Amino acid sequence: MLTTTFKIGIVAIAGLAIAACETRPQTSNAIEDARAAVQAASSDPNVAKFAPTELARARNLLTNAEGDAKDKGAKDPNTANYAYLAMQMAHIAEQHAREQVAIQRVKAGEAERQKILLAARENEANSALSQARQAQVAAEQARNEAQNAQSEMAAAQAEAQRLANELQNVKSSQTSRGLVLTLNDVLFDTGRAELKPGARRTLDEIAQFLNEHPDRRVQVEGFTDSQGADGYNQELSQKRADAVATAITQRGIDAQRVRALGYGEEFPVASNADAGSRQLNRRVEIIVGNQNEPIPERTGRDVP
Amino acid sequence: MITLNGIRNGVCFSVAFGIIACASAPPPVEKLTIAKTSIERADQARAGQFAPVELNQARAKLTAAQTAADKHDQELAARMADQADVDAQLAESTARAKQQEQLVTEMDASLRDLRDETLRRNSSGAGPSAPQPQTPPQQ
Repeated sequence: MLTTTFKIGIVAIAGLAIAACETRPQTSNAIEDARAAVQAASSDPNVAKFAPTELARARNLLTNAEGDAKDKGAKDPNTANYAYLAMQMAHIAEQHAREQVAIQRVKAGEAERQKILLAARENEANSALSQARQAQVAAEQARNEAQNAQSEMAAAQAEAQRLANELQNVKSSQTSRGLVLTLNDVLFDTGRAELKPGARRTLDEIAQFLNEHPDRRVQVEGFTDSQGADGYNQELSQKRADAVATAITQRGIDAQRVRALGYGEEFPVASNADAGSRQLNRRVEIIVGNQNEPIPERTGRDVP
Repeated sequence: MITLNGIRNGVCFSVAFGIIACASAPPPVEKLTIAKTSIERADQARAGQFAPVELNQARAKLTAAQTAADKHDQELAARMADQADVDAQLAESTARAKQQEQLVTEMDASLRDLRDETLRRNSSGAGPSAPQPQTPPQQ
């Protein structure tokens, strides 16, 4: 009996040693823990879906533990061991499922990223396309405007040329004030303001031109050379301008459209140093205004 | 009552204390190898970083299993090896799950940035960014 007691004591010591080594308590709690863990894993649909093998293994281990508990008791080391293995396997099943769920989400995220990138690229392409279209429209507009400006300029030049052609017997030049017709002193005797008969043809031409262009006004400007007193020259230039203006109105042009101004020896076109130059300065200029526009005043010697 | 098992246990412990020689069951070499392999796998899956408690527990049990085998308690050695194996498997699967969830978090953040950037670059682009995703339930 002594040896029996001794041996039972040894077994008890062995049990304690096992209890010290195994971290889980060697009680029926181990089975309860395992049941709870397997239950929790079973109730998670993701576990059944993604970790069926591990879940089945956990259930088998739990069945083993329960069988051992019946045969050998809940405190048997084998019972506790199976219970522990069942519990851990249930947790492993859950972790497998958790990993698989995360993998699915990463895949879905990658698909989403591709979708966003594609949409962004399409958006960029669309906006680039619409920008290109806008640029095209703008270029078209600019080209049209340039063409319009060019054709307007061409029309203005053609018009000036046409007017000049109509007045082919009159010396004319296009200036910023309008078309300028110069009648020089062969129309007047020296010191006189009466038009000579030779002027008739030129004046007929001018009157006819004004008849054909009722939307244009004229300004008649008289000039002399530098010989003689300023006051006399101014008066003479005014008289000459008046004579031309009167001749024009006598040919049926409304006096409202004709203005006469005497500038005396102002605004010479030549030096006055010799007879030839002085003759150039004795002149009457007729400025034909642009359509429906008043004629700007003379501002400098360089005009025309 | 003295069972055959009890006698053998007693004999084995006598061996452990160096009293007499004992010809008992062979050590659970296969189970020990499996446990070692599982621990290595867990280690490679970076369980040391993501599931250190589980991994340490597996290692402690492997040590206990080897100690028990050295002391000729092969039943205890086998149980400890089995437990070390499942602990290591849990360490590995936990580490994998956590790292995968980290990828999810990074993916969500980068999607959010991408949506914001797309919105900023093109106000007529994608709709409002999705609500911040919740982290999946832990075990």
